[in-house]
Amino acid sequence: MNHVVFISFKLLSERKRQAIVSVLGVAIGVTAFIVMSSVMMGFQTYFIEQAVDINAHITLKNEEQDEADRILRVAYGDGVISEVLGSKPKETKDKIVDYKFIISKYMQSEDIKGVAPHLTGQAIVRYGIKEKSVNIIGIDPQLEVKASIIDRFMEFKRLNQLNVDRNSIILGSLVARDLGVREIGKKVTLVAPNGSVHVLKVVDFFNSGITSLDQTRAYLHLRTLQTILDRPNQVNELVFKIKDVDDAERLSRVISRETGYYAESWQKAYSNFLKIFRMQNWITYMIVFAILVVSAFGIFNIMMMTVLEKKRDIAILKAIGFEDREITWIFVFQGVFIGFVGATLGCLFGYLLQEWLSSIRFEVVGLIRARGFILDRSPVYFVYGFVFAMFFSTLASFYPSFKASKLFPVDIFRSGG
Amino acid sequence: MKKVLEVKNIRKVIRDNEILKGISLSVEEGDFISIIGVSGSGKSTLMYIMGLLDEPTEGEVLFEGVRVDFKNHRLLSEIRNRKIGFVFQFHYLIPELSAAENVMVPMLKTQKSRKDALKRAFSLLAELGLRGKENRKPYELSGGEQQRVAIARALANDPHILMADEPTGNLDSKNTEIVMDIFLALNRMGRTILMVTHEIELARRTKKMVEMRDGVVVGIR
Ligand SMILES: Nc1ncnc2c1ncn2[C@@H]1O[C@H](COP(=O)(O)OP(=O)(O)OP(=O)(O)O)[C@@H](O)[C@H]1O
Ligand SMILES: [Mg+2]
Repeated sequence: MNHVVFISFKLLSERKRQAIVSVLGVAIGVTAFIVMSSVMMGFQTYFIEQAVDINAHITLKNEEQDEADRILRVAYGDGVISEVLGSKPKETKDKIVDYKFIISKYMQSEDIKGVAPHLTGQAIVRYGIKEKSVNIIGIDPQLEVKASIIDRFMEFKRLNQLNVDRNSIILGSLVARDLGVREIGKKVTLVAPNGSVHVLKVVDFFNSGITSLDQTRAYLHLRTLQTILDRPNQVNELVFKIKDVDDAERLSRVISRETGYYAESWQKAYSNFLKIFRMQNWITYMIVFAILVVSAFGIFNIMMMTVLEKKRDIAILKAIGFEDREITWIFVFQGVFIGFVGATLGCLFGYLLQEWLSSIRFEVVGLIRARGFILDRSPVYFVYGFVFAMFFSTLASFYPSFKASKLFPVDIFRSGG
Repeated sequence: MKKVLEVKNIRKVIRDNEILKGISLSVEEGDFISIIGVSGSGKSTLMYIMGLLDEPTEGEVLFEGVRVDFKNHRLLSEIRNRKIGFVFQFHYLIPELSAAENVMVPMLKTQKSRKDALKRAFSLLAELGLRGKENRKPYELSGGEQQRVAIARALANDPHILMADEPTGNLDSKNTEIVMDIFLALNRMGRTILMVTHEIELARRTKKMVEMRDGVVVGIR
């Protein structure tokens, strides 16, 4: 093998310009792959983590169901009834009746880290002459911290103030900004759907980075909200935090079955986003794939040209006793080498670009708000990029190398080479 | 005398053209045979077959008494590498390699270490009057010098037979003389040589002259 590597290197080193161009082609492909992956996956993972953890892994609601259908199904069994005619949507009670029992039951479960009750509703918050419609959520701060991570997004870490002062409210940071509430301690007016008006003290701001949440949310103590909405002792939503977020689908089905309420996993709640992400990933990987294919074609071309130009040398090598296999390796090795150097450089550029991207600071306002790029700097992308590049460049050099090995030296000698 | 190479009733047909029409010839140890004939008479074709580079349509080739199996590519490569040295009209040096590296190539294919190969390359080049030019690339050498590098390469693995197809075809009279002198000296030292040429002057200086015409041997002197 020694002699093969030796000759391979010599041939390559004499065509530095072509070699450098192919190496750069591969490097660009690998860099693009690493950087695009880390930017995209970083964003998606961040979004999912934030969204999932804020919004609970599983949410239990009293979903409006077709009661007639459900009762008949229970009575006659699934499959017997194919269609129920003439049923009308009825107003179902938007509450979870036995929530205390459900909470204490699932608190024991191995798979579940925490369960917390919510009462949700709509209200208008006023501050001076400004007003804004918000989704208000009544929470029990003690249970809530075990079932979600909203405390992490409190700008002043004063979630517990809701317990201390029952007439307090936590505003989404963008709600506060829109209303003009710049500091805590200000008093805002909350107008409930039933017309009642309440004065509440702003004790903290909720800043998750997810624009749509920060713009529409306000938290109150569960008891306070029950009073305001005139729904004593009622909750309409339970949120679950589970050990393994990927297990949410299965657990949600179990909980649904056991409680009879509708349990929605985060995957379902965010299925639109997940679909978009999947599409986004596809597009990115197609682009990167295209780049890699183009650089592979570059290698292919150069190898093909080399083989054509090197016919004389191939002929003499074969005459001297090099076997087909060895001729093949002489050229494949060049492709492998180009791939290796290109992939290594690509990883290096990728790393440097990541360093740079993660160092720049700017305001991102969109689906999420962040100060700069959120990168997923997992080494996996480097490994993949490297392996793909090696694979493609080896593949691209195989055919020309094979062609080279099949040259018949006598043909070359005859034609005067 | 031991036979290095023997061909029996060789026929070669290329695209319905019978180029060799039944040739028998044997090369003994220490021979210096020249194959002579007009252009197109089939000299090169015969040499390719004797050099195990091409397969005869009919007939057999015995290398050191063993019938050559032209299907066994590995063995053919092995014999060409270890036991046959080739010199062609166009020297076919690898332009990327220096003179010494070119000479090293056939040795690297054997298990010889790079250091030993380099040593031998230097001494071969020195013997052929190329001392001091070992690290030059082919394009930095004259045509005659290049041909001498090619001869050194052919001798690298100490072959049992040296085959040359018009080795002086591209050289001026001075360099032709140098190459011919080298061949004669090599033969005096015991090297078996088979040389194709169409220059009768050169052929006369060899031990044995095989004349070909139109695919057959018409005379041996
Ligand atoms: N691949 C081929 N296809 C067709 N004809 C061929 C082929 N190879 C050789 N020939 C023919 O075979 C004949 C012998 O060719 P060869 O090269 O052996 O002659 P030569 O004696 O070496 O001639 P020269 O002195 O010009 O080198 C020629 O007529 C040539 O045209
Ligand atoms: Mg010829």
